[in-house]
Amino acid sequence: MSSSRIVAAVEIGTGKIAVLVGEITRGRSLNIIGVGVSPSRGVMKGEVVDYKAACEATHHALEMAEKRAGARIEEVWLAQTGGHLDAFYNEASVNVKSADNTVTQLDIASVCDLAKEKELPAGRSRIHEIRRPFRLDGRAVPAPEHLSGRRLEVGYWIVHGPESKISDNIHVVGGYHLEVRELVLASLATGSLLTSAEERSQGVLVIDIGKGVTDYVLYRDGHVLVTGTLPVAGDHLTNDLSIGLRVTTAQAEMLKLRHARATTLSRDKSDKVWLNGDASFGDRQLPKMAIETIAAARTLELLEVVRAKLGPAFVAEHCGAGVILAGGTAKLPGIEEAATRVFGLPARRGEPPGWVKEELQDPMFSTVLGVFQFGLRTAHEHAVPPRRKTGLLSNLTKIFAVS
Amino acid sequence: MNPAPDLTAPPPGRSWRNIRQEVSAPAMSPRGRRRRLAAWAKVGALAVVIAGSGWGLYEFARSWSTDRAALATALHSERVRDTVLITDGVLTRDWVAGKLTLPKEASLMTLDLPALRDRLLTSGQVRVAVLTRNFPDTLVVTLQERTPVARVQAADADGAAKQLLVAKDGTVYDGLNYDKTMLAGLPWLDGIRLVKSGGGFEPVDGMADVSALLSTAQLQAPHLYREWLIVSLARLAERDEIVVKAQDIPEIVFSRKRDFFKQVAQLDYVIDAAHGLEAAPLLQSVNLTLEGQVPVKLQGTPAGLAVTPITPSFPLKPSQRKTKREF
Repeated sequence: MSSSRIVAAVEIGTGKIAVLVGEITRGRSLNIIGVGVSPSRGVMKGEVVDYKAACEATHHALEMAEKRAGARIEEVWLAQTGGHLDAFYNEASVNVKSADNTVTQLDIASVCDLAKEKELPAGRSRIHEIRRPFRLDGRAVPAPEHLSGRRLEVGYWIVHGPESKISDNIHVVGGYHLEVRELVLASLATGSLLTSAEERSQGVLVIDIGKGVTDYVLYRDGHVLVTGTLPVAGDHLTNDLSIGLRVTTAQAEMLKLRHARATTLSRDKSDKVWLNGDASFGDRQLPKMAIETIAAARTLELLEVVRAKLGPAFVAEHCGAGVILAGGTAKLPGIEEAATRVFGLPARRGEPPGWVKEELQDPMFSTVLGVFQFGLRTAHEHAVPPRRKTGLLSNLTKIFAVS
Repeated sequence: MNPAPDLTAPPPGRSWRNIRQEVSAPAMSPRGRRRRLAAWAKVGALAVVIAGSGWGLYEFARSWSTDRAALATALHSERVRDTVLITDGVLTRDWVAGKLTLPKEASLMTLDLPALRDRLLTSGQVRVAVLTRNFPDTLVVTLQERTPVARVQAADADGAAKQLLVAKDGTVYDGLNYDKTMLAGLPWLDGIRLVKSGGGFEPVDGMADVSALLSTAQLQAPHLYREWLIVSLARLAERDEIVVKAQDIPEIVFSRKRDFFKQVAQLDYVIDAAHGLEAAPLLQSVNLTLEGQVPVKLQGTPAGLAVTPITPSFPLKPSQRKTKREF
């Protein structure tokens, strides 16, 4: 059996569809061998609204990546985002059963099962079950087995979404005769790529502002504390500019890319910019201050919503590594300043780690790269150790096993 | 004791992994359909390759046991360096080599043994031929040859008379390497019709009886056998009689229905009895076909006179002309 497999990380976003093809060797080593990008169609706020159009765009990107890789994709790891996703926290506790109060594997399994046991509303499927640290008699312990204590507690951050919408995304990939083997929350993927273990340990907030949705993840003590997705992102800035300046959406998008800022810089109301800039018929001048004001207001509002969604989970003192901004809208000048103003923490744009090739440094690849990073890391970290087998049969098996 | 929980079990509640991923053909894009077709084609090609390999292996295994050329290649057999002849007759290794005419570089395994055997069997002198490979480079030829019982004269293609030999089974053949004295002692056959067949002649009928008579005479009464010149089968088919012409008796008639040993003994007695007479008459004919009586015709006896019947009384007395071994 071959020790390498060809895996595609796919992000079906509102603005673009990104595909990276990687060769994973021995389950740990990744080599990116193909890239495919196509403008997204049939997707709104991370949800598939036109199946055929979404298929066409996604399959184009997959085909492009496959051709460039020169290899046949065997499986897909799919980034999942969208306003339809939700999450909740559930925790459970058990009394340590052994007479000498030593925590056993049985105690750990029992408390984990209890914490994950909560039923979901009808028609919803689990996407992730993210475990927070164990607490043994109130103190946080990463691995409680063989430690002494009376009460073992654990909590799970459970991410879920409507089955119909998740299956839409999966079927878009299935329409290319491929199977989705892993589903990774986009915020976790981006956070996994743009943060270091040290930053996660200090506490860090990662906000990925895309075109249709904004994903965020808050880390504390090296663990995921909260994740979330807002159906508000770059498109809303464009929409506001379009309405506020009475221009078309395409023109508003161009103005956003050329002149918008997350904080107002211009003070001169007479400072104007050309709408199209090509001196064509119908081209006109617009006040630059108006563009900046609209964009800044919307950006601040967006960041405020994120903060509100985080609620009491966000404590600035527990977020020592600050705020990391990612996604296409995070290219907006002044966005770090805006984030600092909202969260009261230093903010910066996320930069991929050094191992990422230059052509993949663009923020559009952050999520798909993160899908690989998250998938490989969790596969390694959360690999379930084989159960210790005892008994006559297993001993006999060991005796006669061919090593 | 409670069983340990299975940590690999899926979490409670429905997971995204429970979502059915298969997509119906109408829901696939043309690219997806092409990809699926390619996947099927790949599986089909793989199946064909596997089936082909299996068939190839089967054919290879089959040819291993039947295909001499492939076998020779596989075994790296060497060329034939020696031919060994084992025979119960007079044929020589040179004759065998000339008959087989093996190519100089022929390897032992590439030899078509059945064809070579057929080549040897074209000679009537060879009754049985067995060829065996003695690895690495020796061909062993084992022959059983026919023994001549009588001679016969025939005309060759040019019309010239030539001597042929007749074996016990009636096979007519050119005798090779036989001792000339031995050949000269063989009686001639008469009263037969040689029928051409292929490169030779049809076997002569009735030779089994002739052979039995001659071998009985040769063994039991060699002094008589030495005198026999011609054996005629002219009356064999119709009257079951074998007529022998000896040097001093023009006609001795044997019946194949009677025991040859008895007939030869009677002949010996008659000859001895005739020699014992004072006049010592010469015998014209001796008829041994009758049970109990042996009509004898003496030379000089006018035709129409009754022949002298002699009733031999057994056991026969050894004649002065016989050695101890002869009778």
